[in-house]
Parts: sequence; structure tokens; C-alpha cells
Amino acid sequence: MGVFVFLPLVLPLTALPVARLAEQHLHPRTAARLLTAIAAVMAASCAISLCLLFVVGTAHLAGNPLPDTWSDPEVREAVPFHRTVGSAAIVALLVVVAACARTLRRHLRVRVHSREALRGLPGGPGVAVLPDERPYAYALPGAPGRVVVSTGMLAGLTPQEQRVLLAHERAHLTHHHHRYLLATQLAACVNPCLRPLRQAVAYSTERWADEEAAQRVGDRRLTARAVARAALISGPPAAGPRTAGLPAFAAPGPVPRRVAALLAPGPHHSGWPPVHSRTGLATMVAAAGTAASAMSSLNAAVALLLLLKAATPL
Amino acid sequence: MRDASTDQGPAAAVAFPRVRRRGQGELEAQVLAVLRTAAGPVTAGWVQQQLDGGLAYTTVMTILSRLHAKNAVSRSRTGRSYHWLAASDAAGLAALRMRRVLDTQADRDAVLASFVSALLPEDEELLRALLDSATDGSEA
Repeated sequence: MGVFVFLPLVLPLTALPVARLAEQHLHPRTAARLLTAIAAVMAASCAISLCLLFVVGTAHLAGNPLPDTWSDPEVREAVPFHRTVGSAAIVALLVVVAACARTLRRHLRVRVHSREALRGLPGGPGVAVLPDERPYAYALPGAPGRVVVSTGMLAGLTPQEQRVLLAHERAHLTHHHHRYLLATQLAACVNPCLRPLRQAVAYSTERWADEEAAQRVGDRRLTARAVARAALISGPPAAGPRTAGLPAFAAPGPVPRRVAALLAPGPHHSGWPPVHSRTGLATMVAAAGTAASAMSSLNAAVALLLLLKAATPL
Repeated sequence: MRDASTDQGPAAAVAFPRVRRRGQGELEAQVLAVLRTAAGPVTAGWVQQQLDGGLAYTTVMTILSRLHAKNAVSRSRTGRSYHWLAASDAAGLAALRMRRVLDTQADRDAVLASFVSALLPEDEELLRALLDSATDGSEA
């Protein structure tokens, strides 16, 4: 298996440029799907690599449940740096499992609690309008999904803008955007280098829903206005620590970018960009990196399995 | 007759499994719905009578206190007991509970897709400019 086992752990470093290029140049739907797939494959490869290193690492610990022959000198010989890297992998795998469990638990908790909050509310599935002066609007996933919107939010928008808002939230529900978000969140737990993909997918799903809403109401400007107005009535900007001190380098936040994108002509709907363009190149690089990641973890997995099979007397 | 102590016998034992099955939210909504039908402040006993679910007096009291903690009902002391008044309807109650979910769970944005995310400090200016251009364009 050699050094190939480490490749899936390092390849996610390509996530940052890939995420940037894809979210800027691809159609939001394509970007969300592509980036989620990349994140999932890279994270799975990473997890496999970690598991392999974990097996190698635990083999030399006394009292481990694995067969003794797995820690034969020959096996160790075939696996590079089994002691240090193996021990590190044990820690890393535990951290990854804990982080994933935490993310999943939070996800379920928020969903259960918000569903609980709406129980007893007449109207069944569809839109739940809650009397609250605080402006908010959420898509609550589930079967059936529900759109939750406060009267505070609706009051700040014209009837046409309210249609945009509802179309946007319904698009989230129809296309199961929460699955993309959860998948990339879990991926980011497996390897922190995949975090840019999580942010890019979150942005892309918003853009995707914006485009759907614009198509539904047939007016991009109206959609842009609705997003901008909703953001402005949602309250003064929080004093975010993210940009504190360096305003000159701060890129605009996601909302202005969404509005600007809606004011620009719509994205073209062709599935894949031409190969010779910058976007095409980025897509190719991303696909190649993902494939390499998957292949090397597969390679390492097969190599170790063969090795351990040979070492296990059956 | 409607004293808490008289209802604590077999009636309470029968009522509690029902409470579990129907869930907190639904019961709270029911009690609130009954309170809404009242012309003015009413006693917990009156609420219990109106609810045809055979709920124990103590259960009704518990639900009323819980609703009170959520600011969904108000109460005033009359003699030795309280009189209850609905502050909001089922939607209001749902709003209160939803607000609690939104307040307490910092990571809700990771799960629930919000229409708009929080603005960065310098976004507001930019957004107003964009909004102006969007409005001008449509009126022109």
C-alpha cells in the first residue's frame, strides 16, 4: 500500500480552488451536485485510509482484538511508519467519528425540535405562518417538508416578493437541499480541508433556489429585490468576527453576491462547461483529483486486505 | 369536587398514559384552544370541564403552568386560585416554541435553509446600492 494510503488525506487540499471556481462559474445546480459528490467521495476515501491506518496502528498494541499474526514483522515491513502514523490514525479516527456523530445529532435535534414546535398547528403540510415580529423564513425538511415564515418577514415584503420567498423555500424542499448540506458537513468533519466545499455548497443551494424562484415568478429583478429586502429587514448586520480588522480584504457576504447574480443575466443551462474554459479545467482537475483519491484509497485497501489475508492462517 | 386532591386517584393514573401518547404540543394546543373560546379569564376547572379528554385537574394545571412559562397565557389570582386567559392562539404558541428553537440552537442555520443569512458589516451598504439599482431598473 505504501504512500498511496496518504494520498486521500492530502488530496482534499484541492477543495479550496475547486470550490471557488465552481461556485463562480458553474450553474448553481451543477455546482451543488458536483461539489457535493466530490466532497462525499473524498471524505469516503479519507475515511477508508484512516481505517486502514487504524488497523495498522492498533496491530502493535498489546491486547488488541485483532489476530496476532497481523502484527508480524512481515506485515509491519510492508506498511510504512506503522507505529507513529498508526497511533496518530487511531486518534484521528476517533475524532472524526465523534465529530460526525455530533453533526448528525445536531441535525436531527434541530429538525425534531422545530417539527415539535409546529405540532398542533392547523394547516398540515405547506406554509406555516407564525405570528412573530422577528423576521425569519426557513425551509423545514421532512416528509412532508414545511416552509416556516414569520409575519414579521411577510410584513416587510410586497405580495410579489412574498411569492419569491415562498418559491425559494419550496425549491429548497423539492430538491432536498438539506441532504447536500448534511453530506458536505459530514465530509468537512472527516477532513477539515473539505470545509470550503461545505461553504460553496451552502452558497450554491441558495443560488439554485434563487434561480428556481426567479423562473417561477418570471422576474429576476423582483427576485433580487426580495432577497435584498428580506436581508435588510432581517436586522442590522451582526458584528462578525470574520471580517474584523481587515475590511479591505473582505469579500462581500453571500447575500450581496446572490443579489448581484440575480441582477446579472441568468446562468446558461448547459450541463457541463467546455473543457478549454477555466471552469472546464477546474471541473476536470476536481474530477481527476477525486478519482485519484478514490483510486488510491481503494488501492491501499486492497493491498492491505491481501496482506492481512496472507498473514491470517485460515 | 374539582380539588386537586380528589382527582389524584385512579383518574390521574388513567389520564397520564394518554398524556404521553398525545404528546405535549397537542395538549398545549388543545388547552389553548379551549381558553380561546372563553369569554374572559376562567379557572383551570372550567378548562378541564371543556376538554372532553378526561384529563386530570393536575394535568391541566401542569399544562397551564407550562403555557404560562411560555407567555402563551396570562393568569390573575382570584381568591385562592388562578384565573387563566389565553395570550395567543395555536399559531402564537408555535411561534413561541419556534423562537425557542431558533434562539437556543446556534447551529440551526446549518440545518434549516434560511431565506437570507446574516449580513457582514459592510454588506448593508452594498445591498442598499444593489436594491436601489434593482428598484430603479424596474420603474424605468
